[in-house]
Amino acid sequence: METDYAQALWDVIQKGAAPKDAVESLKESLEAHGRLALTSRIARAFERIATRDRQRNGVTLLIARERDERTAKHAAHAILEDMGVKPSDVTVAIDDSLIGGWRLEGRERLVDGSYKKYLSEMYNRATRA
Amino acid sequence: MDTATVQKIVKEIEKFTPTHESAHVGRVVSVGDGVVAIDGLSKAVMSEIIVFEEGKGQKLAQTLKEHQELFGLILNLEEDGVRATILGDTARVVEGMTVKSTGRILSVPSGEELLGRVVNALGEPLDGKGPFKKTTLMPVERQASGVIDRKSVTVPLATGVKSIDAMIPIGRGQRELIIGDRGTGKTTVAIDTIINQRNEPAAKRPVCIYVAIGQKESKTARIVEQLRRERALEYTIVVDAPASAPAALQYLAPFSGVAIGEYFMDQGKDVLIVYDDLSKQAVAYRELSLLLRRPPGREAYPGDIFYLHSRLLERACRLGDEKGGGSITALPIIETQDGDVSGYIPTNVISITDGQIFLITELFNKGVRPAIDVGISVSRVGSSAQTKAMKSVAGGLKLQLAQFRDLEAFMQFAQDLDKATADQIASGQRMVELLKQKNGAPIPLEMQAAVLYAAGYKLFSEVSIADVRRTEQLLTEFFDGQYSKTLAEIKKSGMLSDDTKRELNKAIEEFRSAHKELFVESE
Repeated sequence: METDYAQALWDVIQKGAAPKDAVESLKESLEAHGRLALTSRIARAFERIATRDRQRNGVTLLIARERDERTAKHAAHAILEDMGVKPSDVTVAIDDSLIGGWRLEGRERLVDGSYKKYLSEMYNRATRA
Repeated sequence: MDTATVQKIVKEIEKFTPTHESAHVGRVVSVGDGVVAIDGLSKAVMSEIIVFEEGKGQKLAQTLKEHQELFGLILNLEEDGVRATILGDTARVVEGMTVKSTGRILSVPSGEELLGRVVNALGEPLDGKGPFKKTTLMPVERQASGVIDRKSVTVPLATGVKSIDAMIPIGRGQRELIIGDRGTGKTTVAIDTIINQRNEPAAKRPVCIYVAIGQKESKTARIVEQLRRERALEYTIVVDAPASAPAALQYLAPFSGVAIGEYFMDQGKDVLIVYDDLSKQAVAYRELSLLLRRPPGREAYPGDIFYLHSRLLERACRLGDEKGGGSITALPIIETQDGDVSGYIPTNVISITDGQIFLITELFNKGVRPAIDVGISVSRVGSSAQTKAMKSVAGGLKLQLAQFRDLEAFMQFAQDLDKATADQIASGQRMVELLKQKNGAPIPLEMQAAVLYAAGYKLFSEVSIADVRRTEQLLTEFFDGQYSKTLAEIKKSGMLSDDTKRELNKAIEEFRSAHKELFVESE
């Protein structure tokens, strides 16, 4: 039930309602139905929806070292443009297991240009053939 | 790492050009009981194969060491994601894992290389004889052939079981259900049918596929060993989804089996496929459906349980000459509870198939093997596929046995019966004895015809009931030894010509003179 309330709250806010007003209306509705005890659970469900939305719409650029950021952003520029994402909206994170190169993840797309992927593929081709 | 591998890697490095491909992905939201909920993958299609990306965050060395791709199969498309089943070890999937779409529908390898092999529901070898080298990928889900592509069933498929070949004949392209309680000999009938195909000439011999669903590994191992011992494994493929396998693989196994069979059918060959058994597949599908949160219906089975079996069994057919003339004959097995054939799954499969062979506990316990109840067993299309030889000797057999079963109840008042009734009962008892057969000893069609001809010649009516089986044994040995040419003629022509009948009459008379000790009742 809390998920339904949280989803309704999320939808109302997405449609342009002021968050404060939406929460107030929800509180009134819960009070009227004697369901105020659900508040904390609704908050947690709302957080889950927000996280899921962030993961779904957010774009992360993974790089192996800090100094690779500029090169990686330049390499991924065309892809980001295609996805309709501004470079400034991209979250950059470091994952040293990539060895080198970059990896772009988000909006149901994965573009892997990491050395780890190249080396792994090379090894598989050499050992399986 | 050996030198050859190092050299190959060096070559790979030399020709390396960095490219990056874009993949359509989703993220694992929850995982449990072999089913994963995935957020994303909005462009995925039903039955698509997905790959779980396991090495994220792991060092390269670790990724290479554990490199064995883990696949999943999409079974539900939902508003905000998909649900899929894991085709492997569930423990390897964690929340947040990236899942890649492959754009491929589930396929299994098929080809001549699979003959004599044991594979799992994904077509991966299980017998330790190494990977396949040259195979063709066949889609696990495929639309069954349409009406125009089909031809009616006219070619017999000999099971080697007298009572079946005589009274419930099966044709190539037919779907004949084997149904009965636990331990009534259902698997035995199916395995005997596979073994009997060794009597067919190599060019006409069907490729046999045995699909074991939810069976004990020990049982499947025993069957494989029996097939090997009887030289039947060389033309058989075993698809094994044991009871210990995930429900998804048990659900998929029959579809994988028929997909493997379709490769041979498309080549114009005949295929015999045994599904042992579909009740266990239905249970696996029920488990999967409940985990996928599909609404349960009768006996908690999902609403599409009928479609599950109908779309599988519709793939068994005989193709027309324009399509190569190949066929798939299906022998699905269903286990009943306490002889109840009116259960949900049994009635579904009975209505889909072209006939059924009922095996009953009562007959089994009386020592009648195979314990077939001919009264309620039927073959709806097989009679047009029966050879003329068999038709001419087995014509009134079914009716005679059915009448005997009706009269059986009066046997306890035997002293009060009139002679005609007593004779009918005695004749029925002899026929029951004659139709008894040992496990794993299928009889070639021409021999069956000769023995039943002898029965029609009243040879056994002069033999005591206790001696019927011994007489039959001696008679078959006699036919084999002295009249092999006549048997070969029956096999070749598929009929009993006047000359053949004369030869058989002569043989029977010779046998009667040679074994006078057996014919005590007439004296």
